[in-house]
Amino acid sequence: MMYNRPAVVVVGRTDFGEHYEKMPEKLIEEAWLKASEEAGIERKDLEACYLSDYFLPITNKLGLEEGFLSELTELHVPMGVTRSFSSALLNACNAIQAGRYDLVLVGGIEKMTDRWDKIRDDLMLLEDPWSYYAGCTPEANHELMLRAYIKKYGIAGEALEKLNLALAHISVKNHLHATKNKHAQYRRKITVDQVLKARQSARKPLGLYDFAPISDGATALVLTSEKTAKRFTDKPVYILGSASATDYLTFPARADMTRFLVTEIAIKNAVKMAGISLRDIQIAEVYDQSTVMEMVSLEDLGFCERGKGWMDIFESCQDYKGYYRVNGRKLFVNMNGGLKADGNPLGATGGAEIFEIFRQLQGEAGERQVESDSELKYGCVLELEGFGTKGYVHVLGRD
Amino acid sequence: MSSEPIERRVSYLGDRLRGRRCQICGREYFDIRDYCGNCGRKSFGKMADTDLFYDKGELEVCTFINEPTNKFTKLGSYIYGIVSFHDEKIRVPGRLTDFMIKDHEEIDFQAFEGRSVIPRFRRRYSVGRNDVIPTISLAFTLADEYYPYQEYAIIKPNKEYTAPGIVGYGVYTSKFRVREQNIERSVPFIDEDSITAAVEAGKLALIHSGVDSSLVGKVYVGSESNPYAVKPIASKVAQVLKLGEEDGDVQGVDAVDTEFACKAATSMFKDAASLVNYPKSNIQNTMVIGADNSQAAPRNCPGGELDLFVGYGGCAYVLGKCDVIAEIEGWYSCTSDTPDFWRRDGEPYPMHGGRFTGDPAYFKHVRKAAEKLMERLGLQLNDVKYFVAHQPNVRFPVKVAKELGFKEEQYLPSLQVARFGNTYSGSSLVGLAAVLDMAKPDERILIASYGSGAGSDAYSLMTTSQIRDKRKRQKLTVEYQAKNPFIEYVDYTVYRRLKLGM
Repeated sequence: MMYNRPAVVVVGRTDFGEHYEKMPEKLIEEAWLKASEEAGIERKDLEACYLSDYFLPITNKLGLEEGFLSELTELHVPMGVTRSFSSALLNACNAIQAGRYDLVLVGGIEKMTDRWDKIRDDLMLLEDPWSYYAGCTPEANHELMLRAYIKKYGIAGEALEKLNLALAHISVKNHLHATKNKHAQYRRKITVDQVLKARQSARKPLGLYDFAPISDGATALVLTSEKTAKRFTDKPVYILGSASATDYLTFPARADMTRFLVTEIAIKNAVKMAGISLRDIQIAEVYDQSTVMEMVSLEDLGFCERGKGWMDIFESCQDYKGYYRVNGRKLFVNMNGGLKADGNPLGATGGAEIFEIFRQLQGEAGERQVESDSELKYGCVLELEGFGTKGYVHVLGRD
Repeated sequence: MSSEPIERRVSYLGDRLRGRRCQICGREYFDIRDYCGNCGRKSFGKMADTDLFYDKGELEVCTFINEPTNKFTKLGSYIYGIVSFHDEKIRVPGRLTDFMIKDHEEIDFQAFEGRSVIPRFRRRYSVGRNDVIPTISLAFTLADEYYPYQEYAIIKPNKEYTAPGIVGYGVYTSKFRVREQNIERSVPFIDEDSITAAVEAGKLALIHSGVDSSLVGKVYVGSESNPYAVKPIASKVAQVLKLGEEDGDVQGVDAVDTEFACKAATSMFKDAASLVNYPKSNIQNTMVIGADNSQAAPRNCPGGELDLFVGYGGCAYVLGKCDVIAEIEGWYSCTSDTPDFWRRDGEPYPMHGGRFTGDPAYFKHVRKAAEKLMERLGLQLNDVKYFVAHQPNVRFPVKVAKELGFKEEQYLPSLQVARFGNTYSGSSLVGLAAVLDMAKPDERILIASYGSGAGSDAYSLMTTSQIRDKRKRQKLTVEYQAKNPFIEYVDYTVYRRLKLGM
């Protein structure tokens, strides 16, 4: 058992989507207010703030984010900014576990839609500059990963058709989940046919419905030490394992183009830290910037066998019951709709993933509440930065 | 990107596809690494310079891009993928260039994957008119298409000749053509310009000559369509082709751009030849390049008549005293201040003097130069096997050749304007290359260029036995490019769009 488990006592989030009318700082304020009101926390209780945004100063021409947060809260505590919610959370966990603080805020924010005309250039340049210079787009790397996957495992003919259908099902499934999520960007069902037609009209391996959108949004959670948690909630959710890994910036230079090495390393270390086995994890939020990314992530996390993730998905989606069937058990994936339908405001996305697992483990996910075979105890969250340049896995659990 | 130091950094690596290889474990990097990731500290000083510039890669996987990022929108849509070299030891991103996907055409990615590709030096993407033009060699053409793969094998200098001359040459035109009024013209792809043509032609000339690029002591680039008013094409050529001894990130070579309308390059042959002959120059070889994305105003505008004749291409000649394929016997140049064709600073298109470009300009100077040279060398008409003239259109070179008394078999082989258009600084040089492609040893070639403004350079060249020996090193001959099965014809609208560039 881990010593001084960091505890999530509350998570707040805004709706994801387009928020033209709101200043970026208003979004994080909204997420913070929701969280603090729910748990009865005052801003003066905060000992430190861990923020994340991927590229807010570039996209929104802002100054140092910590500064505007200080103005907003009148707090002068230590604050720091990282590029993803999970990395902020990981830093916060380290500080709590080290006994440095008892109560901190972890927040994430992104406002992408204001810069819709330049955002793909921004994304691509940060994600993989050499590929950008050669003409790459944020979508193309996902498509190349799929092509490499097909090539490596020699998938052809009927199997290839099934693989393409399985990927379409991922998107359909995520949209279906989002219909029950009032915060989601797209709360409507789509059909396999729509996904396939979009690919056809783009003449590409993946189409519009295979990719997560750009979004505005913010998320905030309060992380406390184990002993402090019970002051605010009866049902804290603990961060049992938290791990991260790093890989090359240039996607083509990586050893294997059909997997994200960072995920493999992070899940191994996170599960080990949590002292559980992978089979104990019943629910997962994975980082589905594309349908391929969800499939590959299921393999990277170890839930599906290499080169066979699409088979599990295809079979599970023939008569979809709300979960994937992998290794003869239920695995609930992206119950909030995933990045595809819930939305993907980069710096805040990880917070929405935590939000979902937090609610599910508390048993308060409403109509989205999953029905697991055994008592729902463990969940995990995968978040990536860039195109798999960094990977974070958090294992969450409750008493 | 408008930050010049960043641009310098990116193009330094990207133009040549420079990298390093660990001499302990063999791992390769597309980056100037000082140590190997596997071998760590013990690999310091053991990393060898490499580059992929003359290599052939394999397109491993690819996809289609129909909505590029902002700077690539002028390319429209293209195939993009990952290219591996040296048995997958090294992988780079890249796009297929010289490749236009038709609307609604179905794309079979498998048909591209696994095919051999060759790096092409091209513009990277669009920038503002005031910015540095970014370039890169992460653009590729299929190796079994228009440009065949040619190895760059350096030959050790063998036989020294008494007179300096041409050691090797290369002609670079585009795969795209426009066909109008019985003439075909080479059309640059949208990512090409006179800079890219100069570099590609230089690359071909090095391959053909077998000359070690570090032995080239001076490079001259003649062009009248340099996209910069101030900034030499020659500096790009020198760095990308690694001319002269490399020291740090500086090339030990003199590089200069010249300008004299269409004779900017031919004018420098005698200088280039003299330089290798100068006892204390310590220069083994020199390179002369004529490259143009020949400019012309749109048809209905003043000066638009030129739009019927302009082509695109670059020609590069390596000169030296060793392993010469054609010795320079002598030359004669003449000049007068004749304003028959000009382009004012800041103007995009040249103007011309209509009928004035004929008799008092082209014919007077070309005739004079050719006649004087023959007189000086004591040559009779039948001493000359081939006659090459500047080719602004089909009529002029034929007329001047006839006036001089040459027969069809003497001037027709060099007549290339109907196949590639007027390539301005490269015009007479394409003709010369076409003749060199077919000439036997001990044949005399007389070339008379023309540059508006005005002047002409005439040279007498005598081929040697090496011309035959080196022929197998020249795959991309003028004939091959003219009759290439992969030529793609475009209509007038596409031609204007491609010519304007990105």
